[in-house]
Amino acid sequence: MTMTGSTKSSRTIDGNVTPWWVRYFDPSDRALAVLLLAPAAVLLAMIIVYPVCRLIYTSFFNLSLTSGLPAEFVGFENFQFMLEDPVFWQTTGNTVLITFVTVPGALVVGLALALMANLPFRRQWPVRLSLLIPWALPLSFAGLIFAWFFHSEYGVVNDVLGRFGVEPIIWFNSPQWAMAAICLTIIWKTSSFMALIILAGLQTIPRSLYEAADVDGAGRIRQFFEITLPLLKPSIVVALIFRTITALQTFDIPYMMTNGGPGTSTATLAMYIHQNTVSFLDLGYGSALAVVMFALSMCVTAVYLRMIRTKG
Amino acid sequence: MRSSAISASPVDSLLSGTPLRLIVGLILLTNGFFPALWILFTSLKLEPELTQQPITWLPSDPTIQNYVQAFSDQPLGLFLFNSFAVALLSTALTLLVSVLAAYALARLNLRYRGLILSLIIAVSTFPLVTLLVPLFEIMRALNLLNSWTALVLPYTVLSLPICTLMLVSFFEGIPRDLENAAMIDGCTRIGALFKVVVPLAAPGVFTAGILAFVNAWDEFLLALSFNSSPNLRTLPVGIQLYQGEFTFPWPVISAALVVGIVPVAILIVIFQERVVSGLTSGGIKG
Repeated sequence: MTMTGSTKSSRTIDGNVTPWWVRYFDPSDRALAVLLLAPAAVLLAMIIVYPVCRLIYTSFFNLSLTSGLPAEFVGFENFQFMLEDPVFWQTTGNTVLITFVTVPGALVVGLALALMANLPFRRQWPVRLSLLIPWALPLSFAGLIFAWFFHSEYGVVNDVLGRFGVEPIIWFNSPQWAMAAICLTIIWKTSSFMALIILAGLQTIPRSLYEAADVDGAGRIRQFFEITLPLLKPSIVVALIFRTITALQTFDIPYMMTNGGPGTSTATLAMYIHQNTVSFLDLGYGSALAVVMFALSMCVTAVYLRMIRTKG
Repeated sequence: MRSSAISASPVDSLLSGTPLRLIVGLILLTNGFFPALWILFTSLKLEPELTQQPITWLPSDPTIQNYVQAFSDQPLGLFLFNSFAVALLSTALTLLVSVLAAYALARLNLRYRGLILSLIIAVSTFPLVTLLVPLFEIMRALNLLNSWTALVLPYTVLSLPICTLMLVSFFEGIPRDLENAAMIDGCTRIGALFKVVVPLAAPGVFTAGILAFVNAWDEFLLALSFNSSPNLRTLPVGIQLYQGEFTFPWPVISAALVVGIVPVAILIVIFQERVVSGLTSGGIKG
């Protein structure tokens, strides 16, 4: 960086004399703020603002790189085509289904894990690690690992089920079981982050509140619903929003586990965008699909911002 | 279950004795570690043992042959190198950019501070997947498809919001007097930032770095879409190549997965407390 030599040199000079470079490098607050925020602003402009404009622009064009034809303005044609495209409806439906199943699922499991991890264990690190490892594991790895878990002949899931007398399930041959396997995997992968956030919230609740409730004769269950849950609400809301937005973007786990199969029955909107863009090089339609996903997550963000505002 | 019988005795000493805590601890440990352990067991088995019925749990005759094969069937070393390069470069860039931005937001009296902070929060919820198409178009036009840059820039933006928010709260915790003293001694403001504030905020900077690294290490969709050339595949992209059209060499895939999990697992084990505090402070603030 620019500033390394400055200390030594400016110590040697008289208080009155400031060389030009000190003035240049030691500017007023406002100029300095612009200088410091500029790299972040440039990056955001390059990777988010300009691409968003480009995305909306391209969604009104017929632009296919395979045809080699120049982009042709088609108005809302991409969006009209989408309405009649069964794969669009299927993948959007799957994405919404995954969101509605895995977000509450991860919340319930995460809450349970957090309550368990909050018990006074003699050693904290094994518990902490057991929550960190699923978080740190790449989603794509989790997809592969659980594809092996749910293997119909040699998978450990069917082995355990078999010990309880359940017939082996051929997970990836039926749309319903494949979707169930995907959702279970996503819930496993995402619940520990939820648990970490909730656990941090749990540890800020003062013990005296529970002691007071004990004195008042409130039972454990009543304490949970009247002290724990209300005080956890802020951290739960934040965790839920992030989880919802990432659930809408689900790609890695179904791509690795089923690649959308059987047929397109477990394909998500992100997978359809990826296919149209990278495999078919149909950038116009890919953009139109991405605009839909963008709109979906904007709705979630709007709800989020509104919750923050009402909070205070 | 057999697994509980195996792991009960070492775990017993880790948790205080009551049966409830023992059971709860076992549930937590199974949930957290079992999938990774199962992959480790699979990676130590050979194909014939894998196709036995009923399946075996612990490997009867552990072997490292799958690891040798994982490195010879596909250029696993190259995948690791690419993953490390992209993750480290984007971590360095994220830290540099977010330290500067966070300092401005924490220390200078900005008129639009509140607005900028809410913009950063809005960006942190931005679905990067939707930008797959325009980023693909831009990288293609700039001839950056199949280059580290194509991933380093988006990964930096992916981690920038959470790292900036984390660092703002770290910088706010450092007394202003120290900086002022340095500036009276003739340090410039930016000199004071790098000589006084950053060293004091080192734990925070380091935690932000780990989060940025893990984010970049995990990313799959952009890596799959932008860098498909054999020389530039990252680990998550490369790992799918072990499967043939009709074959799934699970022991070899498992060995490659274990190799891919180890670097991040080491980071997590060593720095677990910092990672947890970083994650939760960012999450609660964000």
